Amino acid sequence: MSKNINIHVHHLTRVEGHGNIVVNVTDGTIEKCEWQVPEAPRFFEAMVRGRRWDDIQTIVSRICGICSITHSLASTKAVEDALDIEVSEQADTLRILMHYSEQLQSHVLHVGYLVAPDLFTAPSVVPLVPKAPDAVKTIIRAHRVANQWSDLLAGRTTHPTTLKPGGLTKIPTEKELRQLQETLKATVNDLVTICEVVLSVADKLPNFTRDTEYISLKQDNPPTYTFYHGDITSTDCNGDGPVHIRDWEKVANEYVSPQSTAKWTRWHRDAYAVGALARFNNNADLLSPLGKKVADMFGLKKGNCNPFMNNIAQLVECAHVVETSIEMIDRLLTNGLKEEKISVTPKAGRGSGCVEAPRGILFHTYEFDKNGDCVAANICIPTNQNHANIQKDFEAFVPQFMDRGQDDLRHGMEMLVRSYDPCISCSTHMLNVEFVK
Amino acid sequence: MKETIVLGLGNPLMGDEGIGVRIVEELESACGKNFPQADFLDAGTGGMSILHLIAGRKKAILIDCALMGEQPGTIKRFTPDQVRSQKILAHQSLHEADILNIIDLSRQLGECPEEVVIFGIEPESITERIGLSFCLDQQIRSYLDLLIEELEEM
Repeated sequence: MSKNINIHVHHLTRVEGHGNIVVNVTDGTIEKCEWQVPEAPRFFEAMVRGRRWDDIQTIVSRICGICSITHSLASTKAVEDALDIEVSEQADTLRILMHYSEQLQSHVLHVGYLVAPDLFTAPSVVPLVPKAPDAVKTIIRAHRVANQWSDLLAGRTTHPTTLKPGGLTKIPTEKELRQLQETLKATVNDLVTICEVVLSVADKLPNFTRDTEYISLKQDNPPTYTFYHGDITSTDCNGDGPVHIRDWEKVANEYVSPQSTAKWTRWHRDAYAVGALARFNNNADLLSPLGKKVADMFGLKKGNCNPFMNNIAQLVECAHVVETSIEMIDRLLTNGLKEEKISVTPKAGRGSGCVEAPRGILFHTYEFDKNGDCVAANICIPTNQNHANIQKDFEAFVPQFMDRGQDDLRHGMEMLVRSYDPCISCSTHMLNVEFVK
Repeated sequence: MKETIVLGLGNPLMGDEGIGVRIVEELESACGKNFPQADFLDAGTGGMSILHLIAGRKKAILIDCALMGEQPGTIKRFTPDQVRSQKILAHQSLHEADILNIIDLSRQLGECPEEVVIFGIEPESITERIGLSFCLDQQIRSYLDLLIEELEEM
């Protein structure tokens, strides 16, 4: 047994914060075991104050480049809730279709570019190309389809241009939807291939379980494996009714931890998890047939408390969103697409919007004055909701895995963080270079 | 697919970090019609989406905020081979991105444009703020002139 361990994984620059992993073990005794998030606080909520109701989405879509559709949808729903704006069934369906494109984009990117290198023992996806060229090309093909899908529905891959409270400013043509449907049908085979590749190395995912509370959306009417509608539920609810999204602050119970500048959250316990595994644990029986088939491939069952299986739940959801979207496009084409006018009269009000980001449940609340100018905002992102849970996982993981030595332990803890698909440093991507020629 | 893509990168909510987005917006509105062979796109902080946006093109022009050790406001034109990234990636999150890595991946996949040109602009201030620092804002016209020159050479 390694009696002394000293892990300090620090990734902090001025504006691009990352989580730090700190473990000190002396003579076999754990003295320190911390997940620290020293990210500079962000002030996006202050930025939207004073802005008009129809400006909010364009601003908050910049909070994150990977979840920009999700932030846009959450804010748009919140504005619609505050201003009592109705949305047509067609616009609602097209938005869900748009949202699914981001789920596929993000999940494929996460499993393919960030998790696969761990499973294939490569430092990143770039050196993986010569090692497993066909697998990488299949992943990139699926990711490209997802991006093109977002382009069609959202106007561009990142930072949507078609969303507006009340509906959509541009809708696809029936021909474009038919083409998308054909592309998605062709992508099913690629998804199955990706699942088979991951299955072949799935034994590299640590066998680690810690009893955990999982929180996600739940939709009963009609019963749906939901990312967009519904109320908030938890695996700890024990028959209590779901909580309305306007009451999300009673679920998140945000608080400040001394080891983090990001706020932490807790509900029934001292921590909870959100994300694909949370959605799976609350809604698995509502998955599409292919989603269920992928879960069966990996032996993933409701009630799973292995955080590393979040990666597998993401694959399950890739299959689900693609298969479900093929059906949704059928419905849209059967009903026929029509141009719809958006008409909004600003008024005072407060409203909330909640959608599932690929990495977990996301809450937005805004308050507007009688002119429709924003006077207050509150946003709670999924990664902040996972920080406390990562800490609790660390506290259970280290004693179980410290026998394997410092390097393996550090790698296991890094994999654990990655499995949550965190969104820590998403608002800046600047270059940092030195000239060599 | 148009043979050239001009991508503005960065986040307009983070002060000078949004310089790439601001330039591509102004460039397209000022003279986009004069360059029908080029797509102009605000790619924001889409990270890996750059891989797909440049794939199969003849030329990619990327405009981004860059820490280069120069005076704030300095703009430099360079190719990926002329620089080495100083960025340390934590590999914890999809949300970090290094476009030099993405170009490397694109090359390995055999789909990278023959010509990739980066215009890096040294920031004065990167902070939570909508809008550029005065230092960069007052030089927008000269940045546009350099980009137009680049496009006219094609």
